[in-house]
Amino acid sequence: MRALVLALRDLRLEWRGRAGLLSAFSFIAVVLFIMGIAFGPDEASLRRAGPGVLWVALAFAGSMLASRAWALEVENETLDDLLLTPGSREWIYVGKLLFLWLLMIVMGAFLLVLVAAWFYLPLAAWPQLFVTLVLGGTGYTVIAAFYAGLTVRLRARDVLLYLLVFPMILPVVLAAVKATLGIAFGAEFAEIVSWWKLLGVFDVVYLTLCVLLFPGVIEG
Amino acid sequence: MADPLVEVQRVWKRFGRQWVLRDLSLSVEPGEVVALLGPNGVGKTTLLRIIATLIRPQRGAVRLFGKPARALEAERGWIALVANPPAFYRHLSGEENLEQALALAGRPIARAQALEAMALVGLPEGRPVAAYSSGMRKRLALARTLLARPRLLLLDEPETALDSGGREELARVIGQMAGTGAVVLATHDHAFAAEVASRSFAMGDEA
Repeated sequence: MRALVLALRDLRLEWRGRAGLLSAFSFIAVVLFIMGIAFGPDEASLRRAGPGVLWVALAFAGSMLASRAWALEVENETLDDLLLTPGSREWIYVGKLLFLWLLMIVMGAFLLVLVAAWFYLPLAAWPQLFVTLVLGGTGYTVIAAFYAGLTVRLRARDVLLYLLVFPMILPVVLAAVKATLGIAFGAEFAEIVSWWKLLGVFDVVYLTLCVLLFPGVIEG
Repeated sequence: MADPLVEVQRVWKRFGRQWVLRDLSLSVEPGEVVALLGPNGVGKTTLLRIIATLIRPQRGAVRLFGKPARALEAERGWIALVANPPAFYRHLSGEENLEQALALAGRPIARAQALEAMALVGLPEGRPVAAYSSGMRKRLALARTLLARPRLLLLDEPETALDSGGREELARVIGQMAGTGAVVLATHDHAFAAEVASRSFAMGDEA
């Protein structure tokens, strides 16, 4: 319950400040524009590149948002108050994760539409694309929220975050790209499901580990 | 006799190579108001943060409410640390900040209670904290303390930026909190310490 209160409060803060969301959406627009020019105008090239562009843009923009989730506490100097709340501290991680996950899903849905328009991703298969977005987005946010919390007190946190997160999320990004490629090129449903299963396993393993480890890493 | 609320036993703390606290011990009994006195850099804020369980000493032990500080979970809700300046979410109004703080501590309050506490310390409603002066932030911290009713109140230079009315209100809140627990405050102001504290603890050159 407290995790939900924290996530909703962060959403309210983000909506009033809008700094993180505006940066992420601007970044996405720039990435798509540059990639679109780089791979275009040939339709086959754009279609082939679309899934990779989708997940690369989502990964970078997601890191910006993960950093933002904790930066709210740094900017307001409220991290100590959060750490002084009673009970074990897993819920702080879950709250930040929930906040980041909601933003990622909204941003991912927006990105799906843009990539569909520019890179010929078949929006007719939107239920499958959305499942991939949810599974891949979950794996990504679980790790990004954890490492953003781990580095929140450090001066070089933004640089470190990218260095720490990207090696860890490679399996998630690869599986998500493969599933999206399968959807884009009409692969067998069983093949797409096998990538979803892999993503599901990553999500469960990473989530369990991060929840267990978080109280130890957030202590000063 | 009841256990001390705070027992700091032979604590050492350093940042990098610089030792800030060396072999420091302090005990605070229920009902006490202890003023930590000393110039800048002697470790008053560090000691408050160690007592609040926010940082760990390199050596020594801290016990709160009769338990090792690291073992506290539910009891952390009995501790309130008011930093200097007090920390609030700038894009939220004063009453929203109070509601959020109490909700996250697992003790949600109604909007009316938040507004009542703000009125008690002379704050207007509906204004974002970004538009607050330093003194108003201190008053909002007082309102939060009144609502949270901690058993251990830790205050870092609480009297700075407050006008005479605010200082009176602060002294009243400190007295009220000492009645149900204990207060440890860090200050440079000897006159203020003499006014509100039952005991002073000198640090650095003043020790």
